[in-house]
Amino acid sequence: MPGPASNGIPDSPLARMHPMAKIAGVCSLGLATLVWPDFTMGLGIVVILFVAAALARVLRPFTGVMFGFGIPITLMLLFIQGCYSPKNTKVILDLGFAELGLEGSLYAAKIVVTLLVFLGSFYLTNKTTYMGRLVAALTQIGVPSKIGYLILASLNVVPQMQRRIAVIEQSQHARGLETGGGLISRTRAFLPLLGPVVLSSLTDSQERGMTLETRGFGIRRVRQTSYLEVVWRRSDTVMTILFTVFLVLALVLGCLSRTGLVTFAIQWGGRA
Amino acid sequence: MKIDLEHLEYVYPHGHRALDGVNLTLEGDQPVALIGQNGAGKTTLAKHLNGILRPTKGRILIDGVDLATANTAQWARKVGYVFQNPDDQLFLDSVRKEFAFGPRQLGFDQDLIARRMEQVAGLVGLADRLDDHPFDLSPTEKKFCAIGSVLMMDTGTVVFDEPTCGQDKAGDDRLAAIIARLRGQGRLCITISHDMKFVARNFPRVVLMQHGRVLLDGSREEVFARDDVLEQAYVTPPPITRVARQIGLDGPVFTVSAFVDAAWRAKSGSRNLSLDTTRAKGVKQ
Ligand SMILES: Nc1ncnc2c1ncn2[C@@H]1O[C@H](COP(=O)(O)OP(=O)(O)OP(=O)(O)O)[C@@H](O)[C@H]1O
Ligand SMILES: [Mg+2]
Repeated sequence: MPGPASNGIPDSPLARMHPMAKIAGVCSLGLATLVWPDFTMGLGIVVILFVAAALARVLRPFTGVMFGFGIPITLMLLFIQGCYSPKNTKVILDLGFAELGLEGSLYAAKIVVTLLVFLGSFYLTNKTTYMGRLVAALTQIGVPSKIGYLILASLNVVPQMQRRIAVIEQSQHARGLETGGGLISRTRAFLPLLGPVVLSSLTDSQERGMTLETRGFGIRRVRQTSYLEVVWRRSDTVMTILFTVFLVLALVLGCLSRTGLVTFAIQWGGRA
Repeated sequence: MKIDLEHLEYVYPHGHRALDGVNLTLEGDQPVALIGQNGAGKTTLAKHLNGILRPTKGRILIDGVDLATANTAQWARKVGYVFQNPDDQLFLDSVRKEFAFGPRQLGFDQDLIARRMEQVAGLVGLADRLDDHPFDLSPTEKKFCAIGSVLMMDTGTVVFDEPTCGQDKAGDDRLAAIIARLRGQGRLCITISHDMKFVARNFPRVVLMQHGRVLLDGSREEVFARDDVLEQAYVTPPPITRVARQIGLDGPVFTVSAFVDAAWRAKSGSRNLSLDTTRAKGVKQ
């Protein structure tokens, strides 16, 4: 099934990892960053994610996504939280029109790294997982195959629409629409595309559903087999255990540090 | 109009070499048919004629001007291209809007658009469906809607990609009329088709492609006489042509009447025929 990631996934340890183990990783890393009192842990994880992306040979698009999202969101949050957070007491930079406060900046940094960890780990999972494998893994752990199909179908809709839109745009140019034409004329040409594109992808899905039905997809009381074998290997067990332990440790240490019993987070001169 | 393709090569981003050194000159007002098996590269070639695809190597000259000097939207003034799949082309919510889209982009004035609308709608048989949604048209009507929307632009060259699929005889006749009209107006019509009966009947010139190359280029009589090459390219001449050849009639024939004439000539020339030609007179194609 042609999907967002049906092929062209370079072979790597990450690509061979069981999809469920990767999902465990996304949850574990993200939650750990969330409960950790400051941004240092998240920053470390982001660095590790970059290494992982390099190993999985998707460093270039990964960097693009992380910076494309990270830079604007950092600037925005730094501006809002750093300059206008009510918690601000210590001024670290005078911008003239506003003062950048330490507490707000730390808070902004924490939000940014948390978002980046979730985004990055999710992006890596998505980039290194053939969607068919993910769905096969889901059905393996007992998710009904209909739900699996729903997931696949909805994941398919977007790239399918993108392809459609690309072709229709070709045809618009072939009928004289300037590529560089004014924003208004391009928007005017683009908006009407959405109707037929959505409509046709809906009818496509309906037709696909019907062909599946005629090939016995909806059959009951039969244990369906899967063409894609997704094996859970020892390394997956190890990774899942590591992820779990990591999350538990982060939770415990994070809570302890919040209650003030122990201090792990670096003292920045104020509380983030 | 004159279109020159020089050493044209095109490699798709995934690495498939779809055009592998095409040299071809298309000119005048004689309709040209582009034939060849699935995947021969016909659509890829056609998409080069107005710059939707840009050659990996080689160049295209339109009336002597290198196509690389302008974008597709500018070439749309000279070359109209009807997509293989009308769903790739139609996106507005009425046939009328579809028809008006091209000429509007090219800056035709309202009067001219209205006048052409009337002519073209009649020609493609959608005069009373102008306010319908293209989505509600039958597949054949959709195809004609796509054709109409390109004819509206009044281009010197028109390229039809597979206009004859899934169409009944009425559709074929309408298409033949459109092609004849274009020729009458001195326009160049290039048509991709798998329907050899349709090709033989309507196109004096035929270009045969395989594996991204031009195998044969000539009059339909020349091309359909080359059984060996046609077979190698997985193209089957029209049935009547094959029958005529089988029984040894002179030259390729493409219509029933030509067949009958040839058969009579052969008989009066007292050649030994394995067919009773009097019977063929009653046959209608
Ligand atoms: N977008 C694309 N990306 C990669 N390869 C493509 C693409 N479009 C076509 N091809 C390949 O290029 C070759 C030529 O395709 P093309 O569509 O030009 O053939 P065609 O002669 O029009 O065939 P048909 O008679 O089936 O329409 C085929 O092998 C096809 O698989
Ligand atoms: Mg084609």
